[in-house]
Amino acid sequence: MLSTIVFLPLVGAVLVLLLGGRGDRAEREPIVRYAALAVSLVSFASTLWLWMQFNASTAEFQFVEQHEWLPQFGISYHLGVDGISLFLVVLTGFLTPLALLTSWQSVHESVKLFSFFMLVLETAMLGVFVSLDLFLFYIFWDAVLIPMYFLIGIWGYERRIYAAVKFILYTMVGSILMLVAIIGLGYAHASSTGTLSFDLLQLYGTALSRTMETWFFLAFTLAFVIKVPLFPFHTWLPDAHVEAPTAGSVILAGVMLKMGTYGLLRFAFPLFPTAAAEFAPYIAALAVVGIVYGALVAMVQPDMKKLVAYSSVSHLGFVVLGLCAVNVNGVQGAVYQMLNHGVSTGGLFIIVGMLSDRRHTRLISEYGGLKAVMPRLVAAFLLITLSSIALPGMNGFIGEFLILLGAFRWHPKVAAIAATGVILSAVYMLWMFQRVNYGDVTNEENRRLPDLSPREWAIMIPTIATAIAMGIFPGVFLKPMEPAVVRVVDRIHGTLPAAASTRSPGSGLRASDESSTLAPRPAADSPLISTLGSRPSALGPRSSRIGQR
Amino acid sequence: MNNLPAIIPILIVVLSAAAAMLAEAFRQPGERMPIAGLGLIGLVGAGAASYFLWDKDAQSFGVVRADNFALFINIILCIIGVLTMVFSNDVVEREDIPGGEYYALTLFAISGMMLMVAATDLLVIFLALEVLSLAVYVLTGIRRESAEGAEAAFKYFLLGAFSSAFFLYGIAFAFTIAGSTRLDEVGKAMASAPHATLAMLAVALLAVGFAFKISAVPFHMWTPDAYEGAPTIVTAFMSTGVKAAAFGAFVRVFLSTLQPLEGHWVPVLAVIAGATMIVGTVVGVLQSNVKRMLAYSSIAHAGYLLLGIVAASEDGKAAVLFYLLVYAVANIGALGIVALLGTAEHPHDQLRDFAGLWRARPGLAGLMTVFLLSLGGFPPTAGFIGKWYIFAAAVRDGYYSLAIIGVLSSVVSVFFYLRIVVMMYMTEEAAAPARPRVSGPAMAGLALAMLATFYLGVLPTRVIEYAVESVKAIV
Repeated sequence: MLSTIVFLPLVGAVLVLLLGGRGDRAEREPIVRYAALAVSLVSFASTLWLWMQFNASTAEFQFVEQHEWLPQFGISYHLGVDGISLFLVVLTGFLTPLALLTSWQSVHESVKLFSFFMLVLETAMLGVFVSLDLFLFYIFWDAVLIPMYFLIGIWGYERRIYAAVKFILYTMVGSILMLVAIIGLGYAHASSTGTLSFDLLQLYGTALSRTMETWFFLAFTLAFVIKVPLFPFHTWLPDAHVEAPTAGSVILAGVMLKMGTYGLLRFAFPLFPTAAAEFAPYIAALAVVGIVYGALVAMVQPDMKKLVAYSSVSHLGFVVLGLCAVNVNGVQGAVYQMLNHGVSTGGLFIIVGMLSDRRHTRLISEYGGLKAVMPRLVAAFLLITLSSIALPGMNGFIGEFLILLGAFRWHPKVAAIAATGVILSAVYMLWMFQRVNYGDVTNEENRRLPDLSPREWAIMIPTIATAIAMGIFPGVFLKPMEPAVVRVVDRIHGTLPAAASTRSPGSGLRASDESSTLAPRPAADSPLISTLGSRPSALGPRSSRIGQR
Repeated sequence: MNNLPAIIPILIVVLSAAAAMLAEAFRQPGERMPIAGLGLIGLVGAGAASYFLWDKDAQSFGVVRADNFALFINIILCIIGVLTMVFSNDVVEREDIPGGEYYALTLFAISGMMLMVAATDLLVIFLALEVLSLAVYVLTGIRRESAEGAEAAFKYFLLGAFSSAFFLYGIAFAFTIAGSTRLDEVGKAMASAPHATLAMLAVALLAVGFAFKISAVPFHMWTPDAYEGAPTIVTAFMSTGVKAAAFGAFVRVFLSTLQPLEGHWVPVLAVIAGATMIVGTVVGVLQSNVKRMLAYSSIAHAGYLLLGIVAASEDGKAAVLFYLLVYAVANIGALGIVALLGTAEHPHDQLRDFAGLWRARPGLAGLMTVFLLSLGGFPPTAGFIGKWYIFAAAVRDGYYSLAIIGVLSSVVSVFFYLRIVVMMYMTEEAAAPARPRVSGPAMAGLALAMLATFYLGVLPTRVIEYAVESVKAIV
């Protein structure tokens, strides 16, 4: 079933190519558009179906598919989802049709090829999130680059070629070293157990020498933090975002950056727990620097797209911070924030794209007083902005709160510095919002801009509805996520009990009950990285104390 | 008669070459003759013969051995040959290449290549090397009016003759030690006297001879000039065929006969491999001529292949074989497209000639992209599996630093492959150069090469099994 979900967009991509006929025919444009949209909607429906069928009470991988593939190398075709990857799969399914819809007006050149690459990209991204074999994962990971390269390079803005090449080379340098580490890890596993395997579940807990573990961890982490991007590896991001077409930006910010944080959580940390414990404080420090730096740089951007791009650096810093705390709150918050960021930053890029479709500029100074001209668009803009700055009741709040909670448990000072990022984000976002939308209409060209079209309504309603729903009913998302998060945290701490699979996960606390999730966890659940390995028991004391609260 | 089976594939190719010469002799001036068809028949026949000889381990005259290793490379050579023939049919007239001679020489070169990988005697390897080299020298300069072609052929010939002399000296020293030029005898003698100066000299000189042919740094100087000056279709042929044959013989000599001296030559080859990867990619970045760029890329690929030899294991050998196939398909595809778009007046080999190709010829641009991505090692194309295999062999033997140089240089190479992609897709066509039509058979050949590229990239298991099987022949 997972294979079907993953490869459905690819089949659709080929279909679109065939439907488009030879060459670049304008009369086939609508067919191609609707076909691509239909494929992506079916694909979204299939990811939703996955969610419906998902058993929220277990940390095990579900819908597992495993076939022998390259037996010479111990490589198998191994897919599966758990509570963490499930939502990233759904997010991918959710954002792709929206991204296709945003291109309705702005992309007219070779729509066939555009839709083809978008759908290929969707397959590659879905593959990244469901692969449970390192080789397979790497294939999808690298395959993501090519369609995105074309999307930026062909349909981007003025400096698109520069941005596209920078994007692909920058990310490749990081990921190719991970390839060497993957091979090395496989053979290290072979020398300690006798069987060559690249299966993630087999490789967890491979005995490694200290130096090897350190180098492998650094290689994996470099690949992932470039993708995130963590300060100071973020310089490709503003270029790529600014030059990419709106659809590209939405996918890039919405899904592709999460591949980095997902990689840290799924691969780098649990595969190399000792090295992770050693380096987590440094990574967290970079994350905090990134939070503040991204926010400060965002504040002075004259270009809205660049502002949102730098805000991504800041927001993703939060996610990495939550991961580095390695406690249930922090990690859960991080995963939640990945989803939030996908929805709200995706939404922001969509809004900026709508404005620049109308005015062909993204400079803040070109706008002003839009509220009087386009009240509905501005209302949508406001809601998305509030979601991005983590207003309580919106999705961003839950994620950032959980992350800060987790970080506070770990290092209160770090959390305190990171919290300034929350304030700064309000500053730069609201300031931009104010300059664009309030005041008098200073530029005559802005006076007759059309308000939201039906197509744009169709994009904005689901985005905003999701943002609000995720703020009001976080349990819907947190509950299925929790067992997997607990499992990962335990794995990183090396305290995964042998009977982990039989334990009823989440017994300590039901995330569906929002208050208990948000209530501070008692001390037993604040395993600091520094006390790694000395953690007495995984869940026991927690459940009783939660009860007392 | 018992001597015959092992050389049947070679004989078939030689016969078709002779037929091509005869056909040219009977051809009336101005008459068009499908000489490529003769070559095609010969090559398909040779491929089929190789297939039937699989696992038979046939031997001829004590110096030619059609073991699985030779047969695997035979099949690679047949694939290269078939694609060359298919493209040539389009290209030859347009490029002012004299047809009969061209086809005959190409086929003779292929027979030399097949002999080279099957030979189990140093002198026969040398003979085969000369057969293929002489044919290729002439092919390089086959367009007699072209000054660049003449220059390229002359350079290639001089340096090639020079390297042949090195190789011959190496054989002489080996003969001094062993009293024989047979590979097994030489191997025994080397094993019993692994530190003798003469043995060292023999190994060094043989290595130099091979290094010239595979264009490893610092013996690569001829490559860019020869590749640029030769007609593009010849470049496509020699950049893949000569490399496959030379690497085949290289592996056979160094990883069986000279394996006892591993401790001496592996460190040297390791350095050469690293330098070859770096020089090939870094200098490749600076090129604006696509043929020259692909020449440097072929140098870099020689570096990756050397990495497989350096790993000196079963895995390494099999990886070399697999990579040769992967590289051959992608490289001949890419250069074949360049050849198909060129004419004698407009070689279509400058980067800017590719501007806007995607609008004018979406199919060709798509195929070119696939081949370039495979050369760059992107999944899910064959190039990725090939690189994975090579680097896995290297890492397994602990050559982390070389593997890291390898992966980083492949990122650099991606940069210049992408320059072509940027031109094709993201640059507006300036002054439309007259691009000739591409015939159906040539398109089919390219499509097959693309399918092979994806097949080897997604389901390589079978072919890897064959590669692993075939390296068992050389211990």
